[in-house]
Amino acid sequence: MKFQPKIWHLLLFFWITIIIFRFDLLIELVVLWARYFLLFISDFKSAMQLLDFSLIDAILSVKLFIIIPTILFLFRKNNLWLKSSLNFSSLTLVLLLLAFIFAPIITNENPEFQKDLKMTKLLAPLSSVKVLHLNKKENAQKSSLEKFINYKNKIIKPSYNEDIIFVNNVEVKSDHIIYSQKNLQKEINISDVQIKNGIPFVTSKIFILGTDEFGRDIFTRLIYGARISLLVGIGAVVVSLFMGLSFGFIAGFKGGFIDTIFSRLTDLFLAFPIIYFIVLILALFGNSLLSVIIVLGLSGWMGLFKIVKSEVLAEKNKDYILTAGMLGQTNRKILTKEILPVIFVPIVVNIVFQFSNVILAESALSYLGLGTGNSYPSWGAMIESGQRYIMKAWWMISFPGLILIATLFSANDFGKRLNETINPGIQK
Amino acid sequence: MNKEFLKALLKRIISSLITLFLLISLLFILIRLSPGDPTQKFLSAEFSPELIKKVTADFKLDQPLYEQYINFVVNIFKGDLGISYNYRMPVLSVVWQFLSFTLLFASLSFLIQIIISFYLSIKSIRKKGTAFDKVVSKLSLIVYATPAFVLGVFLIYLFSVQLNLFPSSGSKSLDFDSFSIAGKIGDYFWHLTLPIITLSSAGIAMFYKYLRDNLDETYQQPFILNLRASGYDEKVILKKHVLPNAIRPLISVAGIELGILLGGALITEIIFGLPGMGRLMLNSIFERDYPLVIGCALTAGLIIIISNFIADLIKMKLDKRMIKGLMN
Repeated sequence: MKFQPKIWHLLLFFWITIIIFRFDLLIELVVLWARYFLLFISDFKSAMQLLDFSLIDAILSVKLFIIIPTILFLFRKNNLWLKSSLNFSSLTLVLLLLAFIFAPIITNENPEFQKDLKMTKLLAPLSSVKVLHLNKKENAQKSSLEKFINYKNKIIKPSYNEDIIFVNNVEVKSDHIIYSQKNLQKEINISDVQIKNGIPFVTSKIFILGTDEFGRDIFTRLIYGARISLLVGIGAVVVSLFMGLSFGFIAGFKGGFIDTIFSRLTDLFLAFPIIYFIVLILALFGNSLLSVIIVLGLSGWMGLFKIVKSEVLAEKNKDYILTAGMLGQTNRKILTKEILPVIFVPIVVNIVFQFSNVILAESALSYLGLGTGNSYPSWGAMIESGQRYIMKAWWMISFPGLILIATLFSANDFGKRLNETINPGIQK
Repeated sequence: MNKEFLKALLKRIISSLITLFLLISLLFILIRLSPGDPTQKFLSAEFSPELIKKVTADFKLDQPLYEQYINFVVNIFKGDLGISYNYRMPVLSVVWQFLSFTLLFASLSFLIQIIISFYLSIKSIRKKGTAFDKVVSKLSLIVYATPAFVLGVFLIYLFSVQLNLFPSSGSKSLDFDSFSIAGKIGDYFWHLTLPIITLSSAGIAMFYKYLRDNLDETYQQPFILNLRASGYDEKVILKKHVLPNAIRPLISVAGIELGILLGGALITEIIFGLPGMGRLMLNSIFERDYPLVIGCALTAGLIIIISNFIADLIKMKLDKRMIKGLMN
């Protein structure tokens, strides 16, 4: 029998790969989790103060990571999703989802990390630099809280690090060390440097996909950029879904004047060139993650509205709905219990296409400088900065570009497949 | 031209006008809701309160909101969109300068999209199932998924940076004025080649997909089999019977596509630094030039409304059933 890869095979492969390459990190994260738990019990107040997004993120992702094999073992035979076969589009989408959830485990770098610009600026893919480790200036006596903070900073990388220097070459003189950065020579006292086996402790660091103009690792930024794209995509789709469902239901169920108003409104939104509308609102009211999500959601509910309205109109005079009404069901119950299951299929297909539209729109907005801001990396913004350095650094634009194309292609393809599976009538 | 057609036409015009009216209202609401005071651009904190009051009164911002709204609507229908802060010119003339470029650019791209997608889809439906058909179908999916800004930058990298064949930005050479008329036109199109490829590719892929599916569907209908059995030439079947049936759904897609085209033109103009509406809109937004922003948004909306109207007209002409559909 021919081997047919399934989605759960991919998940297993991912799990094993991460175990192999990030074993140390995983152990450290588990220890961090345990330490935080201890701190939580002993010193609740400061534990709550320390709780920030990156800590939650790291702990949650390691928890989920540990659960993976259990889920696979339990559900691989029964879950329709896990046992569906793997193709290019499902591969891409699953990998994106994994990047979305497990970003802190996959990369172990801060996406904003920059240091020694002279050394790390615009490095080509697969190039490596040497890292000189300095002695940490730590106080001898510490409370358990300070210990925990130190440990946390060691594992969850902040966007700066005073304890390492990127160098080309290291030479040991009697009592000091000379290191070179490009054509610059610098001296440093030997007592400041970590010593291992009698020589300075030097490791090398590889940038798999190169670095950008600020010396930031492109691979890390791509992984974290997937988060923004997916977050905006899901958020905006939820907003459109909510608007389309409620408006469509009201317009279809009540009919008459309300229907006319909503239909005109839909025409209006369809008449307005959507990107002008989005750009206008973002520029007038300021752009942030939330406003981008809301505006993209606002600009995409028309298709759902039309579907929901026409389906509700078609269904509402059928006997079973009339019966439900006569039996005293509330309108809300009729919507959720009777109509929603009927219109579920076309809605899901519409949502998938809407999702790919939103991802495209988000990256286009980031490209125009109206995206989710600079605090988080985004593919569109990476492409925009890549365009400025196109003469010197092809890798800055090609990787985000390729990933964006693959994502959009996969989402479209997935929607098409879904449509064909659910409505066999349109199959060619 | 019968009575029914005129009635449907009238109804369509009225609904277009209502949409336009709603568009204007939406713009008014957006501008009034947005933070910031339009008088700030002209006032400094050192001015006396009386002067500030006078300027506010000059802008008629001291009037109640509904009177401002009426003023706004009346002025727009008079064709008075105010004066651009940056260009120090009436908004309408500024928009007109930039609009002509975008119209030329978009319509040229539209034409190219139609021609190439027609050619490709007819060719691939004739060779259905062959390698050509499969490759073009797959390729169209990939091209459709490629965002304009990725494709545009890739083209710049390939043709401008590496091969040095086409210019990477602008619409004219520096010594444009010294050329003869033929040279001027040639120069223009030389600059527009890459932008037009960028703008057209997604549309070509989309039209191709629609048209190929429609053609395929039409070819499978019984009347085609009947025509073939009657001994009609394949070319005649294609021209007289298949194409008219396959094109019809495409026209409403084309109306929507024009909106996408305008959006795509915005991004393409940014990539290639072309003097069009999209760039004007974006620049005016970044410079908080509100009258110009309203002018651009209104013009873009107007273009979409008109193009949808024309698409409906053509559909009515092609299909009598459409008239009944509009009447209801």
